[in-house]
Amino acid sequence: MTPSATLEAHALTKRYRRTTAVDDLSFRVRPGVVTGFLGPNGAGKSTTLRLFLGLDRPTRGAATVGGLRLAETPRAMRVVGAMLDARAVHPRRTATDHLLAVARAGGVHRRRVPEVLGLVGLADAAHRPAGELSLGMQQRLGIATALVGDPGVVILDEPLNGLDPEGIRWARTLMRDLASEGRTVLFSSHLMGEMELTADHLVVVHHGRLLADQPLTAFVAERTTRRVRARSPERERLAAALDRAGVTTRVDPVAADALDVTGTTTDEVGRIAATTGVALAELTDVRDSLEEVFLAMTAARKDAA
Amino acid sequence: MDLLASEWIKARSVRGTWLLAVSTVVVTAVVGLLGVSALLPEWRTALPADLDPVAVGLKGVLVGQVLVACLGAQLVTGEYATGQIVTTLTVAPRRTALLAAKTAVAALIATATAVVTVVVAHAASQGALAAAGLPSADLGDPATVRALLCATAYLVLTAVLGVGFGTLTRSSAGTLAIVVTVALLVPALAPGLPGAVGDLAASYWPTTAGQASYTRDGIGVLSPVGGLAVMAVFTLWTTVAAAATLRARDA
Repeated sequence: MTPSATLEAHALTKRYRRTTAVDDLSFRVRPGVVTGFLGPNGAGKSTTLRLFLGLDRPTRGAATVGGLRLAETPRAMRVVGAMLDARAVHPRRTATDHLLAVARAGGVHRRRVPEVLGLVGLADAAHRPAGELSLGMQQRLGIATALVGDPGVVILDEPLNGLDPEGIRWARTLMRDLASEGRTVLFSSHLMGEMELTADHLVVVHHGRLLADQPLTAFVAERTTRRVRARSPERERLAAALDRAGVTTRVDPVAADALDVTGTTTDEVGRIAATTGVALAELTDVRDSLEEVFLAMTAARKDAA
Repeated sequence: MDLLASEWIKARSVRGTWLLAVSTVVVTAVVGLLGVSALLPEWRTALPADLDPVAVGLKGVLVGQVLVACLGAQLVTGEYATGQIVTTLTVAPRRTALLAAKTAVAALIATATAVVTVVVAHAASQGALAAAGLPSADLGDPATVRALLCATAYLVLTAVLGVGFGTLTRSSAGTLAIVVTVALLVPALAPGLPGAVGDLAASYWPTTAGQASYTRDGIGVLSPVGGLAVMAVFTLWTTVAAAATLRARDA
């Protein structure tokens, strides 16, 4: 493995004719952690990745890998490995030939091809044309393409698409392993649950602008409204007692015995229930999921815009 | 060297490459034979005084050039059609070197294809002419050898031209349209234009000039080798334009 490098976007801007796809974006992606790249469709994620890979030229600013543009980087393939679209393979070319061509272009020994095919679990499909592989297998071939050069920086655009649950679990473990080996790992996904399970750090973009660049736990904690969920056969009495204590409650319209309580803790609700003499069936600390935080955040931006 | 190997793997691992190569040989030979057979019914009465048996036998190059240009083009356009270009440009960010490797691989495959094409087309057509009792080419004649070499070189240049057009258009259909226009339509129509424009086109249009290189006397004011040189210069400029475009353009 080549020493890993930091990805850096510096005042990165990309305009296509009339639309601004990426607008003054500055952030860093560091080695050793899995960074999730989050944003709704059309937020500028793919454009940003294309700029990092030197496929498109920024209108202003710079996208660098270890301080260099990719085109200036010697042995680029050993520095960065990327998958932008797993289906972007000639359908008649076999998995082995595809990887062989990629390996040779980067000066990597052909020995690496069977090795990387084994790594992604495609050893049995080595001589099948890419067009005949299932969506999940194509995804694995795409990930293999990114890993051929044993790069220090791995960029994966929607790596979980088309994978079955077992495959998703595999990809998650793979990304975590790559990061724990000290590599820089940047991936995007619209599957928030998976993002939440996989990423340590988040870079969030919306309308081409940076919304957040912080650890995932901090991102969720800062934007979540903590609340307590309580269930009781005597819901009305519990609600009345909580009201007297000056706590906001909301009756769950679906579950007949449930209350959502904001602005307090489970300890406090438990104590009030005990002093009131109300039996509790459930008392839970609730936090918003990443998905809820993200949707609330982008919806708020939409209103503002 | 690595890029060259990579491009060779890509070219050889797709059936289209070999299909186009074989088609070039077969179609060129068959069209050449058709040209010969067109002479047969009337030869006793109206055999052209300046019959050039080598050129007649190589008539098929007119069609073969389109196929060999497509062979060159699809080394590039195939990548755009499938999206593979994104991976290619990521692992080989030096775009001029990439185009050079693709051009070299195209020239290599085209050279092999062109040698076989010219040998087969020539052997078949001269055999047919001789069998019919018509005058056929003499391989001992330096002019014949020169014509055969020039035809081979012309086909190789056309393949390289295909790589250039493929890079500029990023599309197989676009390339085909340009090749048919440049190699067939303009040479057929432009000489009919009035005055100097028509005269100029009749001699100096690159593919017209290139096709003159495999006739005995050349066409118009250009010598056969001069014709090939015009074609070579045009191919070079197209390749330079393609390299500049590839470097400047977003992938």
